[in-house]
Amino acid sequence: MEPLDVELDETEVELPTEPMLVNVGPAHPAMHGTVRCVMELSGESIRRVDVQVGYLHRGFEKMCERGTWTQVFPYVDRCNYVSPMLNNVGFAMACEKMLGVEVPERCQWYRMALGELARISDHLTCDGAMAMELGAFTPFLWMVKARDMIWDLMEEETGARMTHSFGRVGGMAKPPTDNFKEHAIAVVDQVDHIIDEVQKLLYGNRIFLDRLEGVGIISQTDAISLGWTGPCLRASGVPYDVRRAHPYMKYGEVEFDIPVGKNSDCLDRFMMRIEEIRESGKIVRQCVARLPDSGPINVDDPRVVLPEKDQVYGTIEATIQHFKIVMEGLKLPAGEVYSYTEGGNGELGFYLVSDGSGTPYRVRIRPPSFLATAGLERVITGQMVADVVPCFGSLNMIGGECDR
Amino acid sequence: MPTFSLDGRQVEFQPGDTVIAAAHRSGIDIPHYCWHPGLSVAANCRMCLVEVAPPAGRPAMMLDVLRYDEKKGGYVPAKKPKLQPACQLPVAEGMEIKSQTSEHVKEARSAVQEMLLLNHPVDCPICDQAGECRLQDYWLEHNGKPKRMKDEIIHMPKAVDFGPTIVYDAERCIVCTRCVRFCEEVVGDPVLDKRERGNLGEIVLAPGRQLDHAYTLMTEHVCPVGALTAKDFRFKARVWFLRTVPSVCQGCATGCNSYTDFDPRNQTVFRHRPRENQAINKYWMCDAGMLDYQRVHKHRVLEGAVRGQSVTLNMALSSAAHELQKFGTDAALLLSAQHSTEDNLAVVELAKVLGISKFYLTGRPYGEGDHILRDADKNPNRAGAILAASGVRVGNSDALLADIRAGAVQQLLALGSQTETDDLAQALARVPQLVALSTHEGPIAKAALVLLPASSWAEASGTFVNRNGVAQVSDKAITPRGSSQPAWKLAILLAEQLGKALPFKKANDVKAAVNSSVNAGAQA
Repeated sequence: MEPLDVELDETEVELPTEPMLVNVGPAHPAMHGTVRCVMELSGESIRRVDVQVGYLHRGFEKMCERGTWTQVFPYVDRCNYVSPMLNNVGFAMACEKMLGVEVPERCQWYRMALGELARISDHLTCDGAMAMELGAFTPFLWMVKARDMIWDLMEEETGARMTHSFGRVGGMAKPPTDNFKEHAIAVVDQVDHIIDEVQKLLYGNRIFLDRLEGVGIISQTDAISLGWTGPCLRASGVPYDVRRAHPYMKYGEVEFDIPVGKNSDCLDRFMMRIEEIRESGKIVRQCVARLPDSGPINVDDPRVVLPEKDQVYGTIEATIQHFKIVMEGLKLPAGEVYSYTEGGNGELGFYLVSDGSGTPYRVRIRPPSFLATAGLERVITGQMVADVVPCFGSLNMIGGECDR
Repeated sequence: MPTFSLDGRQVEFQPGDTVIAAAHRSGIDIPHYCWHPGLSVAANCRMCLVEVAPPAGRPAMMLDVLRYDEKKGGYVPAKKPKLQPACQLPVAEGMEIKSQTSEHVKEARSAVQEMLLLNHPVDCPICDQAGECRLQDYWLEHNGKPKRMKDEIIHMPKAVDFGPTIVYDAERCIVCTRCVRFCEEVVGDPVLDKRERGNLGEIVLAPGRQLDHAYTLMTEHVCPVGALTAKDFRFKARVWFLRTVPSVCQGCATGCNSYTDFDPRNQTVFRHRPRENQAINKYWMCDAGMLDYQRVHKHRVLEGAVRGQSVTLNMALSSAAHELQKFGTDAALLLSAQHSTEDNLAVVELAKVLGISKFYLTGRPYGEGDHILRDADKNPNRAGAILAASGVRVGNSDALLADIRAGAVQQLLALGSQTETDDLAQALARVPQLVALSTHEGPIAKAALVLLPASSWAEASGTFVNRNGVAQVSDKAITPRGSSQPAWKLAILLAEQLGKALPFKKANDVKAAVNSSVNAGAQA
């Protein structure tokens, strides 16, 4: 029988090609932030690409300069809205560094537990979306189911599923609920179980692996020089994690491993997050075990922490305290500070300048996504156009955080 | 200059200074309620207590006290140094004072603060002082602890009517007696006094009297807490929403330095406060001056008018230009002692362009004066208006009245709103062609053929020359109300309509011209 694909003379079908400009985004389902890529294609491969960010710029660093320091919390919530608790705590810690106060131990364990849960929800979202964009819808649904459990827990603790605004300078808005510990352990168990199942589904799947393996490689040197941090940097083999390199809160006292990648490709970045979910689970278990059941959650400092409401309505001292913090805003001493924590996507830094009044003089955020997105051009140049989707997904750009 | 040591820092003092006064002059604030730089020393609030090191070779004066020991669960004898009020302690060369660095002082201030709040009502949400209250500031700075007393607070009279301007709240009062001392020492009318002591202490009126002298609002101003509130400002605004510019009082020729507090959101002026100037008003202002801000919003001319019919500003300007073109040899210019030197100078230049050579000056009628601050001349800028005329002889109200009656003034370009005498007000109606630039309704606006709306002093920066020839700048607080524009700007616009040019076009040019004429006036 004659073969279907007729042997053709190459020279006959060689069509004259010229570079084609393709524009993806800013509003495209595969560009989950609002980001725009203008690509110059030769056939299907990308010869040049221009990555344009800023479509979600809301100018909120500037907005911070109008209210009080406390009123910044809702803004940082909307920075990386997949793990707002990490932003809340990061900002609170920057303010506390400026004030020179340290929150009570109970608050530190609580912040760590909530923060690691937020990190899990961040990684679940990123990996789930990555799988879905490559056609694997089931893992996405499973991972989002797991994320929903975390959000249920967050709702019970803070009253809000996503934008909690739960952090406070000098503590948290409320102490842990009575059944926080059981709830957290139950959630972490479920998450581990789901991650196992997701692994079974994906790690043996040829199609999935082919789309990720060896795709979107970036050298270790490039990753460092781009200022990458977090899972993307660790996927290239650099074991830099703020929690280990510069331990804050109680991270020096908990046991966890820092997974690192070998090939620095999309698969490594995917697996990095799966492994980190397990490590975060370990940390949550340790935090819960060491979280005291009683004790203060806020620092004992009338300059910073709001008094109890019944006291405000009943005594002049508490009224004054409330009045000073709400009307004038709590006052950070004049000066500047850079404080950094490990966010969902890497080093989340806050650079604050205070003039000593109740209103921030400058709030600058070092968003890990911004620097990761800066590397997108290098990651996808030379790849096929279809690889843009997993490459972009694996960098986990969060528009709110990148563009601010 | 001799010095003493305050918290390890060398502070200069003048012989006769108290510790607090010397520190105050060097910009160091020792917390205080009852001390006021312009009043005598009462030393009753005990907030300014400091620790004084004994002279070399002498033991410190120590007091026996009982201190609670948590380990023993009881009180044990202890010693602490005798603290002294910084407001009453005269400084001597080489004295060593500890204020913020002494644990005993910190403890004492915390205790004083707790004591002052012991019976204080939970009034911050309804108190006008909130936001600028010493009790609030000092509680956070020096105490910061929750209430320990479990008992019901001592209740005292609230909202006591002290007179036409002031309401007193005895619960909020810390009986520092600043108001008492102000009335007695500055005004010379001892209408307030203190009665009872301890918890029951309160400020009372002299029997059969009301707080009704000419400086009553200053009692509210010196009150460090919310005990005395001004009826005028009560419940009108919250101070943290207000913004402040330095200004000059428009009430009389004294030219007291003031602050204008206004709400930038609705562009409303809410109050006048005195601004310290030792050469002019020291720390004080009179009631009339403090309430004078009300004129920014009351009885204003906000739209142009032709023959009493309201028109747009552009139409009024072209009508005014049309009338001004007809001005001939009978024309005259009326300056205003109410307006800034800028406004007067601009209309003088406009008059020169038009060939007007007869200048007159009027303003608000004379009133009551005293030897404290108030001047009988109720105009802030009589001297500045005369300077602006740059040498041209300026006739007074009576001269203008005589000339109108004689029919010598048929056409008049007038700046201002009021006249000094009723006779002049009536006579103005007989001027057939009157073009007026007025801020307020009044005889001039009423008699005007064409009326242009001018901005008040609060809506533009202006220079005012007081009775002693001191030129002072009052800053712009709010944007011009209605379609009004500063009178100097109206003059420039009128000159443009007439196809003429004035020597200035912008606010800075006008300011420069005023400065040179004021300097020339100072040299002459």
